[in-house]
Amino acid sequence: MMERIRSLYLHVPFCTWLCKYCDFNTYAVLQGLIPSYVEALSREIDVQSAMMPIGPLETVFIGGGTPSLLSGDQLQRVMAPVFRIGLQPGAEVTMEANPSNVTSEHVAAWLAAGVTRLSLGVQSLQPGALRFLERLHSGDDAIAAIRVARAGGFDNINGDLLYGVPGVDLSSWMETLDAVVAEGIEHVSAYELTVESGTRLGQEVRTGLVTMPDAEAQLDQYWAAVDRLKVAGFCHYEISNWAREGYRCRHNLAGWHYQPYLGCGAGAHSMLRLEDGTTERRWNVKGPHAYIKAVGEAGRAVDGRETLSPERARGEAAMIGVRVLEGTTATQAFPDQRRQLVGAGLLVEDAGRVHLTRRGVELANQVGAAFLR
Amino acid sequence: MSTPTHLIRAISVIAHVDHGKTTLSDRLLEFTGTVAPRDMVEQVLDQLDLERERGITIKAQAVRMLYQADDGNTYQINLIDTPGHVDFSYEVSRALAACDGAILVVDASQGIEAQTLANVHQALDHHLTIVPVVNKIDLPHADPELVREEIQKVIGLPAESVIFASARQGIGTKEILEAVVREVPPPTGDRSSPLQALIFDAKFDAYRGVVTYVRVLEGTLRPKMRIQMMQTGRSFEVDEVGVFRPHRTEVEDLSAGEVGYLIANIRNVRDSRVGDTVTDEARPAAAPLPGYRHVTPMVFAGLFPTDTDQYQQLKEALERLQLNDASLVYEPESSAALGFGYRCGFLGLLHMDIVQERLEREFNLTLLATAPTVEYRVRLRNGEEVPVDNPDKLPDPAEIESISEPMVLATVVVPSTYVGNMMELSQERRGQFLNMEYQPGDRVVITYRMPLAEIIHDYNDQLKSRSKGYASLDYELVGFEEANLVKLDILVAGSPVDALSMIVERSKAHQQGRRLSEKLKTLIPRQLFEVPIQAAIGGKIVARETVPALRKDVIAKCYGGDVTRKRKLLEKQKEGKKRMKRVGNVEIPQEAFMAVLSLD
Repeated sequence: MMERIRSLYLHVPFCTWLCKYCDFNTYAVLQGLIPSYVEALSREIDVQSAMMPIGPLETVFIGGGTPSLLSGDQLQRVMAPVFRIGLQPGAEVTMEANPSNVTSEHVAAWLAAGVTRLSLGVQSLQPGALRFLERLHSGDDAIAAIRVARAGGFDNINGDLLYGVPGVDLSSWMETLDAVVAEGIEHVSAYELTVESGTRLGQEVRTGLVTMPDAEAQLDQYWAAVDRLKVAGFCHYEISNWAREGYRCRHNLAGWHYQPYLGCGAGAHSMLRLEDGTTERRWNVKGPHAYIKAVGEAGRAVDGRETLSPERARGEAAMIGVRVLEGTTATQAFPDQRRQLVGAGLLVEDAGRVHLTRRGVELANQVGAAFLR
Repeated sequence: MSTPTHLIRAISVIAHVDHGKTTLSDRLLEFTGTVAPRDMVEQVLDQLDLERERGITIKAQAVRMLYQADDGNTYQINLIDTPGHVDFSYEVSRALAACDGAILVVDASQGIEAQTLANVHQALDHHLTIVPVVNKIDLPHADPELVREEIQKVIGLPAESVIFASARQGIGTKEILEAVVREVPPPTGDRSSPLQALIFDAKFDAYRGVVTYVRVLEGTLRPKMRIQMMQTGRSFEVDEVGVFRPHRTEVEDLSAGEVGYLIANIRNVRDSRVGDTVTDEARPAAAPLPGYRHVTPMVFAGLFPTDTDQYQQLKEALERLQLNDASLVYEPESSAALGFGYRCGFLGLLHMDIVQERLEREFNLTLLATAPTVEYRVRLRNGEEVPVDNPDKLPDPAEIESISEPMVLATVVVPSTYVGNMMELSQERRGQFLNMEYQPGDRVVITYRMPLAEIIHDYNDQLKSRSKGYASLDYELVGFEEANLVKLDILVAGSPVDALSMIVERSKAHQQGRRLSEKLKTLIPRQLFEVPIQAAIGGKIVARETVPALRKDVIAKCYGGDVTRKRKLLEKQKEGKKRMKRVGNVEIPQEAFMAVLSLD
């Protein structure tokens, strides 16, 4: 029997504007497709869930794109098949939202649809940084969004932040971080601004129009955030994630712990554990048009799949497992690599678990690669 | 039915690289019906994939064509295609010795170049009748008249004998064939004399053994005949004789003047050496043909499997390759840094490149090549003289009386604008200026005496880049000369890396050490720790650079589909690392070992 699935990811590939650094599967000019996309997504969830052992769900994550572009009704329509699968009592249902969309009406609709956790794309509060990142909201909008969500009833809010933005020095970054933390949110994700080759930012960096901060400056901002959030009472539980006690993102933790999940929507990935012990990753067609068409014809839109042998899957599990900072047991199958990495000062062993050292965090890819063939 | 001797012709096509030799040969084959146009794989004569890709000929080919001339006679024209690179000049000389005439191809826009001249001189040395052809007359920048004048002035061939052609479009093909039967003399040999056949190439066939390419100069070669190789003394019984049309076609015999092949259960190309004379054991010729030379490699390098498990496979691959390439020599080598491999000798850098590529492609090996070096002659204080083809094996300086290095005579042909640049470059390379000649078409021929070591170090590339690609080079070995040389050692992370040692002129040693360390700094990827790179002469550090430790290598986001993407990225990086060699605990890429070649 395929291992029972407890986590569900839903993708909403629409945005009002494509920020120049973003390489997610999202589209700004196709918003007219939203109604038929919602129908297709809803159908795919039903069809997929009938084909595998799934639920009651412990976590649901609605990501994008910008899921907050969905109306209350549309969100209800998407959530209906989720409730048909069934949710565990106390299940975590996260939705990503753009600060521009956070109004008290929307907040009420999201709560009514079953969302329990809101992840806000704050990114920065510095006007210069927001302009650079091409965000359409201001810093004040973002702070207001947190307050509206809180007042409307969300008691589990994440703020997504970006550091290492050109033109933002260490003290400005700390100002953003402090101001967001001061709003009393439960969770912070702070990501280094990463230059992806297929983006406009990638092109600007290549042509020399934009110069990214050097590794030293990026790490300075990172470790300053680590220190500051610790003082503020957050637990640093994954390389880019911090939470107050009891508010870790259970959906993402399940992924880092290599638990299987189902992903629905355009370009969504799934990870399934088959009965013979192999791990299957599969992914849907990326474009919304093609996705809607495929679901209309076949109820699903699987575009590709890859089967990992147990050995390879163990390597992958170790590669992502080490990102969880309290330690992982996922490296057990690799005693030699583990010993080397401990010797190199990148990992420490502690009661059967290993976790990254400070240097190990800075070189986490090197650590992860050691477990791959 | 055999062709009467007076209707036989044997010719070669000679040209500078890219002047259209192969295309012209293809047209001749087509025009004479030797190959039907529909069977015409572009460039029939270059058979190896590598040859086709690189547009160069490595092995000679010999095709028999039948041509009905305007005089009503059907001529047998044997076309011998010669290797087109300076590395293979001995093979070229033997192929030319098998001919009576040569079609000289000169590009209508490029004119005469260094190799054109070298080829012409060689052809004249072999008393070949030259049929000059100006090719590519259809190209926009073509100036056939100017090139014709150049041919008359530089080479001394009458302008009226020059044929204008475009091999690509088939223009001039018939005129060329007519000139060949009219101008090139028939062979002079006698079919009933004792056998004398010149070997001009040999190829290994997995089923039949060695296929030996010969031109019969005297007598007749037949199956069942017991033959002797006059230089090596080995004898064999002939199994089959035949000609190429263009595929192997068996014939009853090959008689004086004819070109073809023999198969005689020869298991190794070494027993069928280019330049050797085949004779009848029962009725041997009085003397072997002149011009035989035992080919010696000019350039040496270590080849090491990046994966030590592939050592045995490398050994077998070299054995197999050597069956077909008598000029490749190798012996086991062990390097403290690179483990077990082979020290190989090559005719030149191109030959080395080809061998490495064939080993990797045809035998599925991943190899690391050390920087090529020449063979030095070291005179020891005890009077002994030892050859050194590996810088790391240079004896202790205290024991050395003197070191000599191989010298070449280099001929550079270049438009006059770039003469200054060429002078400058050759001076940097320890060249002794010998002569300079102005020629029509704004061309200057400069000759230098220069250490071979300086030529193999990037000289040709520099020549091209400092002349916008116009300069061309040809060189020949002219002996050894004493020089003030020292060994430069490189230490990576404190340990000497034997494979990075080089022998350099003393006055340039400091500068070379500094440049090499700087270069290595850019080539050795950042590691988890700081890696010092030092250059040392006789234990004294003369330069130091540091590869800083890898500062940061972490992705910010790793969710859902990111995991697959990240795993693939990391797997790809790991794949790249497999091409590196771990020395101590430092990963050193292939380019680092070749860095000494391009220090300017």
